[in-house]
Amino acid sequence: MTPTLGITLEARNLSLRFGAIEALKSVSVAVEAGSIHAVIGPNGAGKSSLLNCLSGFYHPWSGAVVFNGQDISAAHPPVRSAMGLGRTFQGIQTYPSMTARDNILTGFHSQMTGGVFAGLLRTPAHVRQEEVFSAKAEEIIEFLELEQSRHLAVGDMSYGLRKRVDLGRALATGPKVLIMDEPMAGMSPEEKGDLARFILDIRDHFGIPVVLVEHDMDVVMDISDRITVLEFGQVIADGTPDQIRSDERVIAAYLGQAEVAA
Amino acid sequence: MRPTGIFFKTYAAEARVLETRRSRLWLLALGVMLVALPLFSGPWLLGQLTYAFITLIAVYGLFVTVGMAGQINIAQSAFVGVGAFTAAKLSGLGVPFWLVIPAAALVTGAVSVLFALPASRVKGFYLALTTLAAQIMFPIVILALPMSWLGGLVGLPVVSPELFGLSLGTPHGLYWLALVFAAVAMFCAFNLPRSRLGRALRAVHDNDTAAGVMGIPVARIKIEAFFAGALFAGVAGALTAYYLQFVTVSSFTIFASVWYLGMLIVGGINSPLGPILGVAFITFIQEGLHTMSNMLLQSESGGSFDGGAVFALSSIVLALCILIALIFEPRGLAHLWHTIKTNFRLWPFPRN
Repeated sequence: MTPTLGITLEARNLSLRFGAIEALKSVSVAVEAGSIHAVIGPNGAGKSSLLNCLSGFYHPWSGAVVFNGQDISAAHPPVRSAMGLGRTFQGIQTYPSMTARDNILTGFHSQMTGGVFAGLLRTPAHVRQEEVFSAKAEEIIEFLELEQSRHLAVGDMSYGLRKRVDLGRALATGPKVLIMDEPMAGMSPEEKGDLARFILDIRDHFGIPVVLVEHDMDVVMDISDRITVLEFGQVIADGTPDQIRSDERVIAAYLGQAEVAA
Repeated sequence: MRPTGIFFKTYAAEARVLETRRSRLWLLALGVMLVALPLFSGPWLLGQLTYAFITLIAVYGLFVTVGMAGQINIAQSAFVGVGAFTAAKLSGLGVPFWLVIPAAALVTGAVSVLFALPASRVKGFYLALTTLAAQIMFPIVILALPMSWLGGLVGLPVVSPELFGLSLGTPHGLYWLALVFAAVAMFCAFNLPRSRLGRALRAVHDNDTAAGVMGIPVARIKIEAFFAGALFAGVAGALTAYYLQFVTVSSFTIFASVWYLGMLIVGGINSPLGPILGVAFITFIQEGLHTMSNMLLQSESGGSFDGGAVFALSSIVLALCILIALIFEPRGLAHLWHTIKTNFRLWPFPRN
């Protein structure tokens, strides 16, 4: 396959079935480098199926997932993670018994070395490595403003803070693209504002493109560079927030009749 | 929480277990006391402590496999047995003890990987059953092998350890040997949580689905959890062999495996301090029961009270200890100790 310039992550004609249900019907999405790309759609439209195909949990029946010009359709989730496909989860998927810093440090696992004996004996080389990666973890802690909670067990934290730790762990894996599954769900408006700022910073300071599945339309319209709208497993629209806002099919399918009346 | 006025310049200093000079001096004092103890104590106490140190090493193995990685293991006693038979066989071939003990650890680790391979694919009850199978298979395999290999039903004699021509097979020598390896086990168990593998073990324990997506090879980490835990069991087994001077399959029963788990739970499953407190507490209770029942036996001159009743009684007491721990202090004596320490430091202000 030929690499497409400017496209980091691409879904090409993905199709997926669960029994009689067609979750995805030839869905194509192209995420441009340095952009925030939102995927929206009503419940059951196939957003999560698309995300799980991208991160490797589901294997599409046909079509391909292309990452930096490379076909990764056959790669398993840990392999995709090591290649630079980071993701955060819907709900809370952090490690509750560990501190915020340790949660973030687990993200560096594939970049670090040392197994059973280095761990048990705490060899000088292992200590030096700990020093280096602790400093890197602190950079992420500083970026996400988690300084107050670095030594707090994540299980004792508020929902918003846990989501931030989840994001920090994803950043530690050194992603070249970040997939976020409903990051705003269940958050207070204040927490949403903070997280939206972090997502913009991830794009601007780290230059990492973000794929965002989100229900909060205000947030999506505010921060996205490009939006893909799914309905019944099909792409019904793709464009900038302004184009999406005025697209009649989207208004009918997603934003509802009230929007038309207004 | 730590007292005010303590700051760190490196992350390694922050990760230290003993943060202040005073705490390091206290540990040194404890070490000197334990090393000098044989000069003042009788053989009975020495024997008890030696056995407690050996038990502590085995329980530290469980701390890694069960406490840190969350992989239930009801076969620790069988793994200790593998280490003991390896040590007995090697000592019979004239191998010195300082080679026998690491070799026993590695052989036990290798055997544990055999069982961890299927175990890394199952969870919960199924994993418990898989390890139970390892425990049940251990005596069957030993008895089925030719007598000349591992002694079969009779067992194997163990050649006493020697260092520079001095026998370590005396109560003093065994005590020091067990003390040194218990210290090494403790050192390792306090190190592991602060390492790459330690965090991966905890991650698999807390949420293995997320761990897999975040680049942690879950199956491999589970196997390493069993391997690391079995290294401790192998050392404990080799020391048991030297301590008993004769190994038979009947010394490594499922009851011992359950006792190990009980000690871990009572002491605190999440803290490397837990095994020390758990082993100390349960050994104390066990010995108390033994002394009590011995007195009863003598007073009734062998009436209705016999060894079977002592065994049943101690099992009931262990069960009670575990139940009480699970209901009132699921994080174990280690957490209780932590609470007391924090309260003491904050006094007269309330905690939280």
